[in-house]
Amino acid sequence: MKDFSVINKRLPRVDAWSKVTGEARYAADLSMPNMLYAVLFQSPLAHAKILNIDTSAAKKIVGVKDIVTYKEAGTIRYGVSPARYDETMFCYDKVRYVGDEIAAVAAIDFETAMEAASLIKVDYEELPFYLNVFDAIKEGAVPIHDDYPNNIGAEVHQEFGNVEDAFKECDYIRTDRFVNKKQDGGFLEPQACLAYYDMNGNLTLYTSTQTPHYVQRTVSMVLNIPIGKVRVVKPYVGGGFGPKASANTIELAASLLSMRTGRPVKMVMNREQVFMHSRGRHQFYHELTTGVKKDGTIHALKNTCYLDGGAYSSFGIATVYYAGSLLGAPYRLPNMKYDGYRVYTNKPACGAQRGHGGVAARAAWEQQLDIIAGELGIDPIEFRLKNVREKGEVTCNDFNLSSFGMKECLEAIRDRSDWKNKKGKLPKGKGIGVACGFFVSGAGYPIYRSETFHSTAMIKLSEDGGTVELYTAAAEIGQGSDTVLTMMAAEALGVRYEDVKIYSGDTDFGVDLGAYSSRQTLMSGHAVKQAAEDVKRQVLEVLSKRLNIPVEDMDIKDGYIVFKKGPVDFSGIRSYYIKEHRGWAEQPSDDRLTFKEAARIAYIERGTIVSTGAYKPGELGGKYKGATVGTSPAYGCSAQIVEVTVDMETGKVTVDKMTDAHDCGFAINRTNVEGQMQGSLSMGLGEALFEEVKFDEKGRVANPTFGEYRIPTALDMPNVNTIIIESDEPNGPFGAKEVGEGAIMPTIPAILNAIYDAVGVRIDELPVTSERLYNAIKEKERKK
Amino acid sequence: MLLLPRFDYEEPKDLSEACKILAGLKGNGKIIAGGTDLLVNMKKGLVSPSCLVSIGRIPGLSEIEPQNSSIFIGSNLIVAKLTEFALIRKRYPMLYEAASVLGSPLIRNRATIGGNIVTARPAADLPPPLIAMGAKIKLKNKRGEREIELEKFFKGPGETIIKQDEILTGIILDEPPMFSGGSYIKLGHRKALEIAIVAVASFITLDKPDGIIVDAKVILSSVAPKAIHAVSAEKTLIGEKPTNKLIEKAANLASGDCTPIDDIRGSAEYRCAMVEVLTKRTLTAALKQAKKSR
Repeated sequence: MKDFSVINKRLPRVDAWSKVTGEARYAADLSMPNMLYAVLFQSPLAHAKILNIDTSAAKKIVGVKDIVTYKEAGTIRYGVSPARYDETMFCYDKVRYVGDEIAAVAAIDFETAMEAASLIKVDYEELPFYLNVFDAIKEGAVPIHDDYPNNIGAEVHQEFGNVEDAFKECDYIRTDRFVNKKQDGGFLEPQACLAYYDMNGNLTLYTSTQTPHYVQRTVSMVLNIPIGKVRVVKPYVGGGFGPKASANTIELAASLLSMRTGRPVKMVMNREQVFMHSRGRHQFYHELTTGVKKDGTIHALKNTCYLDGGAYSSFGIATVYYAGSLLGAPYRLPNMKYDGYRVYTNKPACGAQRGHGGVAARAAWEQQLDIIAGELGIDPIEFRLKNVREKGEVTCNDFNLSSFGMKECLEAIRDRSDWKNKKGKLPKGKGIGVACGFFVSGAGYPIYRSETFHSTAMIKLSEDGGTVELYTAAAEIGQGSDTVLTMMAAEALGVRYEDVKIYSGDTDFGVDLGAYSSRQTLMSGHAVKQAAEDVKRQVLEVLSKRLNIPVEDMDIKDGYIVFKKGPVDFSGIRSYYIKEHRGWAEQPSDDRLTFKEAARIAYIERGTIVSTGAYKPGELGGKYKGATVGTSPAYGCSAQIVEVTVDMETGKVTVDKMTDAHDCGFAINRTNVEGQMQGSLSMGLGEALFEEVKFDEKGRVANPTFGEYRIPTALDMPNVNTIIIESDEPNGPFGAKEVGEGAIMPTIPAILNAIYDAVGVRIDELPVTSERLYNAIKEKERKK
Repeated sequence: MLLLPRFDYEEPKDLSEACKILAGLKGNGKIIAGGTDLLVNMKKGLVSPSCLVSIGRIPGLSEIEPQNSSIFIGSNLIVAKLTEFALIRKRYPMLYEAASVLGSPLIRNRATIGGNIVTARPAADLPPPLIAMGAKIKLKNKRGEREIELEKFFKGPGETIIKQDEILTGIILDEPPMFSGGSYIKLGHRKALEIAIVAVASFITLDKPDGIIVDAKVILSSVAPKAIHAVSAEKTLIGEKPTNKLIEKAANLASGDCTPIDDIRGSAEYRCAMVEVLTKRTLTAALKQAKKSR
């Protein structure tokens, strides 16, 4: 392993002080002089035609400055994927779920805006509404979108190899069904934004988003403003997990209201609105048929999935692909067939959420593989080890596994959890379970068709040479991208961590597709590394001329110039620097030439030293339809062992211990990698045991609070034994790849497999509430 | 964003001033202690008092006061304190158990014992053990003070017999009898921030360590509009020598003593089954304690 100064260490986050002291400002904390407050008016019905919208009474309220509906906003369609632009800023012909946005009111304060909004009158003609997939696709169901008469918004049919023939070659085949529940992102910071359209026609939008770039493009398109006149700025963000990865109505409405009033406009969602806006995890109905040889070789998989998409597409077209394609690894699976259907229903739209599209599929399959291993009498870890792919292999759906520490992950958790002495040997009510995971390290293509770079970066040196300013549009949303990008810049340039000042999350700083699909460490990291290396080259070039030493005989490390061929007389530069900075703080005094002095010389010679970096993935595999979803420059993998206690009389599950290994290629910040693993596990634990967005009979969210929508508390999370596996990814900067989403993959099935080990029942529906497990245990006792 | 409506705020220095202010508000005032329930409900628009009267500065209301053969717990005492005093933990372990599972550590640092009683939520954690131990409460208005059994305080969800000018000033708990023991178990999904699916508090008294049960209280929570007695379970226990079989019989009867509903937290059927499990567990724990107590 190379000798690194900054990366691969446990450095504190760059935003640690700011966050723990409360100095950090989030979108809802922002204000501007003369600012207006705006609120939404949303549909109380799940499906209805809009006959008339009357805002006259609302307009009469003193303090109301503007009210906008589709009449003012227009009906330009937008969404996530251009192939499925099915949203408008406000509803005009009909409403499609409880919460669909109809109008926005701007007033001098929130109270006035809310009072006015309550006076908006809408006449509706109610339509039949569908709260589940199977009702929505029934013959004769009313289309939710006219373009999709059978309510199937997207379908996928893929086959790699020949599944029917392959099943004939199998010794053991079984079919299982699995269903999860709609999961909410559960981020602590509700969406909020502040828009200001200035006198020069420039719009600045401060917003809690994962993807400033996509928001910029959507705002530009829907409001018809040139992209260059729209600046999207992401303040500190309190979590996103997927639902904040596209433009939302408040961003568009606040921008429109600011353009019309000439005043800054602020909008903040409440928690109920967050649940209604949703864009979280879909509900997936999977049916999996897997065929194996009697020696345990996995031979074929047939996967059928129906996704409950909600009222709009959002990221759904990608989700329906991922629900199939992500099962292509980590095992050697030569034959795979997938039929996926994403169905419109009259519920909040679902979208991308941590482990996009693959979490339910993974849970279903890893549980089924556990059953199969049991039927064949093979230890579940041995079974997996027998089938896992290795570095350099290509999956049946053309994923190139350029690095792949799957085997190492499995072996690490097996050894660290004392699996051999526990599996099958624990007392009744105690159980241990294992599962593997797999995920992309960045989407190979932007969400819109384009040759664009996925990430750019710019570095500028301060004139005294002491500070490296890094500009990136990458989105720090709590996951730590500012920290790892800062570390990579410092390492690549050869300066100290504290010498780099990062400016991020602003579309004026460049292009970055944002924080989704676990892409920033790899992609933004490449751009940053490239920019840093270019600055280094520029500084060394100037120095080379000054000192008459070839560039290749010098290097920069830890903030000092390294002369590879022995000591060099740099006293001329030293006295020059001191003369120029007489009376300033921190004059160089030690016996080595500092980067600061060299950078000052470079500035004097060339003016401001600036460099840029840009990254887009090279040629990726797959020529079949849908190959753009799932192909990635690199793939992460993980394995996990969970130990549980089940209260046999109540059905209550307690997760006692989790041992998790993740191959992140190379850990830029080891603490951050572990943080992502722990966060993923907590989210997986919540989905496995507690979380479910429930609806009442009218389609309203029945539990839109963190009291009744249960994300795990700190007390519900056991200590996690985290193991970092480093496989040195050739396509990643310094060998790094993802950890942010892939780590969630094994959690749910490992819990399910542990529950089976404890009580001998298989649960095929999430969440495993105590009641669900109690009923399953009773059912099993009855059958005895 | 949910906004708190406008209201006036009073901070009386003593009880008589507080009673006077409350009487003057004629039903438009509300006592505020921890505010963990009240402020949320005000934001939701469920209640809209014109004035909040704080009891935070009234001396004596935030303390535990041991008396001759009982203790007085001020209504403004935060729940976290109930888990900290050795006296509570030692003499009233059931109350300690209930206090330590109420809300979350954050909520317990604000919410008060009085608030958990007057809000009269069907799943409130403190009333079941307090009722099981025969707690009395003190209600005061400007004309005087009355003392009633806690169990007679509740009428239904959110409804009690408190008059609009009365303040709950404290709880009186007698010293538990010799050879008695109690236990409270709450079944929720998570380890904190849970409204019980079912909770049971059991309290039994023996005539001697190996004697018969002379008194038994089995209080079921979250299975009715208010905490209720498992009447037939209690009857079965009293006068008998405690055995596992007797406990099982009582537990089984307890599940017939309630008629829970299906709701977002659990089905009626599951709740009934859990009443049986928790009754058995709480009685077993209570018995163990009773045999050891003095």
